[in-house]
Amino acid sequence: MHETSTVTIVTFVVYIIFVFVLAGLSHRLLKKKSFLSEYFLGSRGLGSWALAFTFAATSSSGGSFSGFPSLIYSHGWILALWIASYMIFPLTTMGVLGKRVNQAARKSGAITIPDVFRDRYESPSLGIFASCTIIFFTICNLVAQFKAGALIVEEVFNFPVSWGYPVALVVFSVTVIFYTAYGGFRAVVWTDVLQGIVMGIGVVILVPVVLYQAGGLEKVQKALRDQDPRLITSMPGSFNDLVLEASDARHPQRLVYVHPQQSSAELALEWDDSEEGASGTLEVRLATDASGELISTANDVKAAIEAHSELGRLLQISFPFDNSEVVEGPDGRVVDRGATGIVRMPAGVDRKKFAFIRGDEALFGPGRRGNGDPFLPLGLAFSFFFVWAIAGIGQPGTMVRLMAFKDSRTLKRSILTVTIYYALIYLPLIFVFVAARNLLPPLNAENSDKAMVLVSTRVVADLGVGFQVLGAIFVAAPFAAVMSTVDSFLLMISSGFVRDIYQRSINPKVSPRTIKIASYTTTVVVGLIVMAFASSPPDFLQRIIVFTSSGFASTYLFPMLLGLYWKGMTRCGALWSMVGGFLIIVILFSPNLVGGSRISLFGIDPVVWGLSGSLFLAVVVSKLTGPAPAHLVRKYFHAQ
Amino acid sequence: MPKDDPVYLNSRREAILILTVWACCVIYTVGYCYWNGYLSHESGPNTTGPALGAMVGTLESLNRDPESLTTPLGLGIPDWVFWGICMPWLFCIVFTFWFCLCYFKTDDLGPEMESPEEEVQSDA
Repeated sequence: MHETSTVTIVTFVVYIIFVFVLAGLSHRLLKKKSFLSEYFLGSRGLGSWALAFTFAATSSSGGSFSGFPSLIYSHGWILALWIASYMIFPLTTMGVLGKRVNQAARKSGAITIPDVFRDRYESPSLGIFASCTIIFFTICNLVAQFKAGALIVEEVFNFPVSWGYPVALVVFSVTVIFYTAYGGFRAVVWTDVLQGIVMGIGVVILVPVVLYQAGGLEKVQKALRDQDPRLITSMPGSFNDLVLEASDARHPQRLVYVHPQQSSAELALEWDDSEEGASGTLEVRLATDASGELISTANDVKAAIEAHSELGRLLQISFPFDNSEVVEGPDGRVVDRGATGIVRMPAGVDRKKFAFIRGDEALFGPGRRGNGDPFLPLGLAFSFFFVWAIAGIGQPGTMVRLMAFKDSRTLKRSILTVTIYYALIYLPLIFVFVAARNLLPPLNAENSDKAMVLVSTRVVADLGVGFQVLGAIFVAAPFAAVMSTVDSFLLMISSGFVRDIYQRSINPKVSPRTIKIASYTTTVVVGLIVMAFASSPPDFLQRIIVFTSSGFASTYLFPMLLGLYWKGMTRCGALWSMVGGFLIIVILFSPNLVGGSRISLFGIDPVVWGLSGSLFLAVVVSKLTGPAPAHLVRKYFHAQ
Repeated sequence: MPKDDPVYLNSRREAILILTVWACCVIYTVGYCYWNGYLSHESGPNTTGPALGAMVGTLESLNRDPESLTTPLGLGIPDWVFWGICMPWLFCIVFTFWFCLCYFKTDDLGPEMESPEEEVQSDA
């Protein structure tokens, strides 16, 4: 467990206060302009910097600054291929639809993405279907994002385990709901600009600092190549994890643990050393107190393993964190110095198989998952160019930003800015976290999410006060990234209810005052509902985020793309394309609902199938039901 | 025959070029990295998927020997990352500059129209 420094907490609080100030300034503008257009679209007046940074920030969620570094730390250089489509991402996501979607929105006065669909195809049903699916996917995504935000707050403020999460969830929710509801789209954009600039400068400083500490990339490669085969994963505990390493080049072929049930409080370790013909089970009985709470320490488990005649010979056990740190118990009381934490396995994980990953495997592909499966096989490497660069075009959160810029010149400058920005962020992060493998203790898969925090607090912050602030920024970075995704999604749901469903479908003559009250209220109520869901969220957060972004792309990309570039696209074609893409994704991801893996036919990611199905239906149905109405072709394709 | 909207024509021309470059990036980057950067190329169900694996057959002859790794220009970046990802990334940056400064048309996107509902609000 790490101790969050005062500098980190102060930096974090200052950031939140600054966000509130931006919301206040933005609210003042709301009074001067047309409410709906300003609240949901910033009056279509975004300049180059604002468009570039709001686009970049919305495209990257908390995963960019916690999940991505964690994956680099765990799998090494193969993450460069995983993220490689970002080399062309700004061009595809902004350049393909940018001018056309902005122009179409101007022609019809559209404020939301469903507005564009409704007007382009003159189909209220298409608009309502788009609104409903946006609300569905967005709420799913928001539950995951709220949990991610709350976990970061819990980590930063070091809240005790017993009540930390609910309090952190309330802190995160109140912050993000308040400034989004009060400030609207412009507050969201200004926050994104703030976050984007700080992160860009931060990464540029971080790279030389970490590489200097690691002795340069050349030295890192040599160290990785020379690393002995060893187990780089461990059994996670609440305070002190146990790292299990092979004691020499020979090691158990398979190691499985069964986490303790409260009823039996037993930890069973099964192993299979096929080369030696040795296998067996070691059961460690974990002590509980009168209330049934586990009180055994990581040291107890370590001692039991080391005392065992065969397993003790095969494994070396160590603690990933500094043993001199003070460790607190669940009640906040200082238990002791050193590895005395209470062993508590993650709930819901019954059996975990560990894989042995050689150091030099971090230098090459395809990498290896914790269970030994390849990390990025050919099919997935190919799919990720679709998942990021093509599916990114169809995200409503990014499309709505393309409706908000001022003119073509703004778009051009923004594409250039985002291209440079991504090159400065993503490639250097790979250098930093490959080097971090030499600077940090071995972290298991669960704890590798702390890689960013550990680099910030242990590698950077040790260099002095100035660097402590830099470290604090990186601790807060995932929080800011989650906020920038959550705020834009909250506005999307709010606009879906207020603009698309209420104003355009139920009561077109609604007064401006009612619209204003409804917009504020809906943003707050939706935020509170999501907070309630997030109080007991499902564990598979990353799966939800992948599901929703795949769903967005498969549902909206081709109805929008073909609607703006193909004169033959009809209303029926768009509807079938939308419904087909939606259903394909829901079906292929349905095993996730029961804890299974999504269906990747022929090793290809579901989003590729969703996009292909949506394209096929759009073309075939449009051919069968065409031609498109002449007045719509005239409006959207002919010179006026 | 009415004339096509110049924004539509220019955007279509630009989109075609962008998607062509995207396709080239996919083919080159994934192909180069798979060919030169993978330690194992087994075509089992967990790697390329059973059907694709059956089509491409056994690729174990492509397996990279860890001892052959080099780091071009002494930068410490593995050769397959340098040539397969860093260089095309650099190309994309240069291409984006050329695209934005020389190929991209700064079209007039037209005036802002009010939606029917906003007109009702304005009247009110």
